Amino acid sequence: MSPLPNHLRELRREAGARHTTAPASIPWAPMPSPSLPAHLQRLLQLRTHRSGTLGTPPSTDREVPGEEIAPGLHYTEAWMDWPPPAASIDARFARVGEPVARAHLLHFDTETTGLAGGTGTRAFMIGAADWIDSRLRVRQLTITSMAAETTMLRMFAGWLHTQSVLVSYNGKSYDAPLLATRYRLARLPNPLIGLRHLDLLHPVRRHWKGVWANCRLATAEHRLLGVVREDDLPGAQAPAAWLHYLRGGSAANLRRVLQHNAQDLKSLAGILACLAGMDDRAG
Amino acid sequence: MNALPDRFRPEGASLSPPGDGRILAERLSRRYAARITGSIVMPATTGSYVPLPDNLPPVLAAALRQRGITRLYSHQAEAWAASQAREHVAIVTPTASGKTLCYTLPVLAAALQERAKALYLFPTKALAQDQLAELLELNAAGQLGVKAFTFDGDTPGDARQAVRVHGDIVISNPDMLHQAILPHHTKWAQFFESLRYVVIDEVHSYRGVFGSHVANVIRRLQRVCAFYGVSPQFILCSATIGNPRGHAEALIERPVHCITASGAPSGERHVLLWNPPVVNADLGLRASARSQTNRIARLAIKSGLKTLVFASSRTLVEVLTKYLKDVFDHDPRKLPRIRAYRGGYLPRERRAAERDMRAGHVDGIVSTSALELGVDIGALDVVVLNGYPGSVAGTWQRLGRAGRRQRAALGVLVASSDPLDQYLVRHPEFFRDATPEHARIAPDQALILLDHIRCAAFELPFGDGENFGPVDAVPWLEVLAGEGVLHREGERWEWIADSYPAGAVSLRSVADGNFVVVDRSAGRQNIIAEVDFTAAAVTLYEGAIHMVQSVPYQVERLDWEGRKAYVTRTHVDYYTDAIDYSRLKVLDCFDHAACGAGQAGHGEVHVVRHVAGYKKIRYYTHENIGYGPVNLPDQELHTTAVWWQLPQVLLDAVFADRQQTLDGFMGAASALHLVATVTVMAESRDLQKSVGSSDGAWFASTNPRGHSRVHGSDDGQRATPGAEPAFTPTVYLYDAFPGGVGLSAPLFDRRDELLARALELVQGCDCRGGCPACVGPVLAMDEGATHTPKMLALQVLNLLAHG
Repeated sequence: MSPLPNHLRELRREAGARHTTAPASIPWAPMPSPSLPAHLQRLLQLRTHRSGTLGTPPSTDREVPGEEIAPGLHYTEAWMDWPPPAASIDARFARVGEPVARAHLLHFDTETTGLAGGTGTRAFMIGAADWIDSRLRVRQLTITSMAAETTMLRMFAGWLHTQSVLVSYNGKSYDAPLLATRYRLARLPNPLIGLRHLDLLHPVRRHWKGVWANCRLATAEHRLLGVVREDDLPGAQAPAAWLHYLRGGSAANLRRVLQHNAQDLKSLAGILACLAGMDDRAG
Repeated sequence: MNALPDRFRPEGASLSPPGDGRILAERLSRRYAARITGSIVMPATTGSYVPLPDNLPPVLAAALRQRGITRLYSHQAEAWAASQAREHVAIVTPTASGKTLCYTLPVLAAALQERAKALYLFPTKALAQDQLAELLELNAAGQLGVKAFTFDGDTPGDARQAVRVHGDIVISNPDMLHQAILPHHTKWAQFFESLRYVVIDEVHSYRGVFGSHVANVIRRLQRVCAFYGVSPQFILCSATIGNPRGHAEALIERPVHCITASGAPSGERHVLLWNPPVVNADLGLRASARSQTNRIARLAIKSGLKTLVFASSRTLVEVLTKYLKDVFDHDPRKLPRIRAYRGGYLPRERRAAERDMRAGHVDGIVSTSALELGVDIGALDVVVLNGYPGSVAGTWQRLGRAGRRQRAALGVLVASSDPLDQYLVRHPEFFRDATPEHARIAPDQALILLDHIRCAAFELPFGDGENFGPVDAVPWLEVLAGEGVLHREGERWEWIADSYPAGAVSLRSVADGNFVVVDRSAGRQNIIAEVDFTAAAVTLYEGAIHMVQSVPYQVERLDWEGRKAYVTRTHVDYYTDAIDYSRLKVLDCFDHAACGAGQAGHGEVHVVRHVAGYKKIRYYTHENIGYGPVNLPDQELHTTAVWWQLPQVLLDAVFADRQQTLDGFMGAASALHLVATVTVMAESRDLQKSVGSSDGAWFASTNPRGHSRVHGSDDGQRATPGAEPAFTPTVYLYDAFPGGVGLSAPLFDRRDELLARALELVQGCDCRGGCPACVGPVLAMDEGATHTPKMLALQVLNLLAHG
């Protein structure tokens, strides 16, 4: 263990921090100097040995689905038979007066490194579903390196055009602002600006708040579409799954995140069809 | 703050109205000569004016004229010129000298000419509100169309978007910048892209731990600005401190054009130092500061002078207000003449109080430090300080509240029984001569730096070779990667954790682990205070009397792991003082120097603090009236210290025995601690003292009978000091924060001055054998002894000062 981390850990313990356990198995070389500036000097010279695996055992199961279309960027595409809505959708349920063409819908959902918000949270997966004729096309972008993020953002921007109507579940508050931050950090124009956006969470809440136990997507898809997920990786575990892979671990859970994300997109499309077929009871 | 009407009256006319500060000062000096230990007079100065600069945008000049401003003070013009030359500017001029205009002019000019934006940072919300009001007035006067908003914890969520997008001037505070703006900088992208000025007012309040944090927040701000391709100019304002340029440059890490010559006129100013009369000579008991403050304020208000009283606690504010209201506000049909002003009132009430004061409807105001900073309350004649505010700079700042251009102002400092107060009031020359304290920050303090590099890495990824301020960030990034919050890929360090680091970093402490104080009186559980981890062991032990706003609570149970202290309201006439033994061991000596017959040093130390028990001490008399045990884990601390020691041969020759030597060192430690606290503008608990050997083999404490005694490193007590063959007692003063916050280096640099002051403190003290105001609490039985603690301390100090 190097003196700098030890020294800091010691100081933090003295300052009252309660959780100061070191992450296991970091290969720091022991160094004897007691004063801080000396530590820094020594550390600077001994920097190259870091592996950053943080105790993650290296895995041979590194298979991420889809095609690696750019270094660290994986693309999957799937076509699904799924009951399509009418070619022209009455969107008054989402308080949009004009009818929306089915062909313009782009359902999207991101998987992120966490819920903390701010500039430190990123999307490592962007999934999008649209209707090609009457089949649902599900496309997913997954990054396996940080550097691939910019390419992923460019790619997703290419899927959008001025006519696109976004469909999401809580995307107005979560996914869209998060992507806006990522585009800004990547110094790219934000392609979501100015697009119409049907956030299905709000109409679902207007109809079923107080009727159902909650209005989460899992509840809505179960109640409205009869979807029962098997072996679903809970959304909250997605960040860990990706991080595990990033640090050299197995891709097994990351593949489950892809499945989870694809099901979210299918459910979005199904719930939209369902809502569009209803009278707008809540006005 | 441009009270212009005064400017157009004839200058220098000595038409003092019948009642003014000078006349009151003379009356008080005649009637209470014995209580006045010092009197300072500062003559009036005339103003220095220049015409409005030609390069001021015409609409702005017109707006100024509309508000009656046809010329500038010289320092305002200098600030304008420096800002137009694209320099960073620091303005350090007295209260009410028109500092605001120094930054308002460049900010408004840039907003008008280039739609450039400005960020204002104030330490408190009240000041932010004041600024907003003033900006809006000038804006309205000139129909400038500049949009200014406050952005703080009270800004509703739906208004925040409008502030971010439409604000030309955003008025906020360092905590909001740290926790809400920087971690969400992409939402502020438009604002940052046009950011031209960052105005930081009251920079003297950014010192110590808080200042060290703020300096790091500014590093993060500069880093985010660089991302958006801007490099804003900084305009800083400060009350008088000893090192304005140094402090400004330490905060922003850029060269600064420092303006210290005020062009604003000032009236004559009188200052009196007031020690309450002795009411019991045997016990050295003095009348309360409160009774004296009340008397002086009453006289001033009766003389028709607008008077402001500063008191240290909210309760005291209420008590003094009641006393004054009993005299002046007994007729309910009339408008109240006395008002209280303190934290804990609703903002609306405070605004109303400020308005009434500005309008001159109020004759007497009693306030806590809430009014210390630049809140505008109009002109005043008299300021009375109930107790020393803790620093010379802070005292002048409060005294500076009184002052009109054509009338003499009076400030009275009424000393309490606190040793610091007694020191100050008995050393009027300290006030007259001492340069104000230096504001110190230690932005590279290890824990603070790590916290902010963590926050910075969240805001923008670090690249290899990137500095954070002047610090190479890489070793710190490796530490963070080791924690698992950063992921290194190629040359970049990316944030990877699902956490919001700024939320866990408070700008006002070194680390987390604060204790909450829970009041269980009346069957409820109210959190009434928070205590730093470092102070918890010596203030929250079971049995401790914990004062909150001078209301005593007794600690009934301390949940060390849960970081909670349960207290109940109590009524006692004593306070408690922990008996804590500190054992220090020098790990690394950074520097040392000969010091009289001995040596002084400064460096890194390891401190183990053990709280063995506590004393109950009666108010005012400082009598020791009982003891209690404390059972707490030892506290360990790596920090920095300054120390003094004398060679064993000399001590054996000078002192009769080692017991006396030790008593002398203990007394010397008390005196040095007291003057050091005064000198470095520290809170006394941030700086601790200890006496022990340099290798940590033994340390000394004062036993219940007032004698120092020696403890070994095994905690076993030894009856007589001197069993050890080697005996080099050492006085240590150390930083009470893990890693230190930079208090000890300046103490080492000023070691000669400290010794001289300590010596003079003990020599000049009125007591016979020693007292809490010089060498620490002394028991009555020592008074007749041949070798008094005072004499012994003087011997030690003399050996260190002169050899």
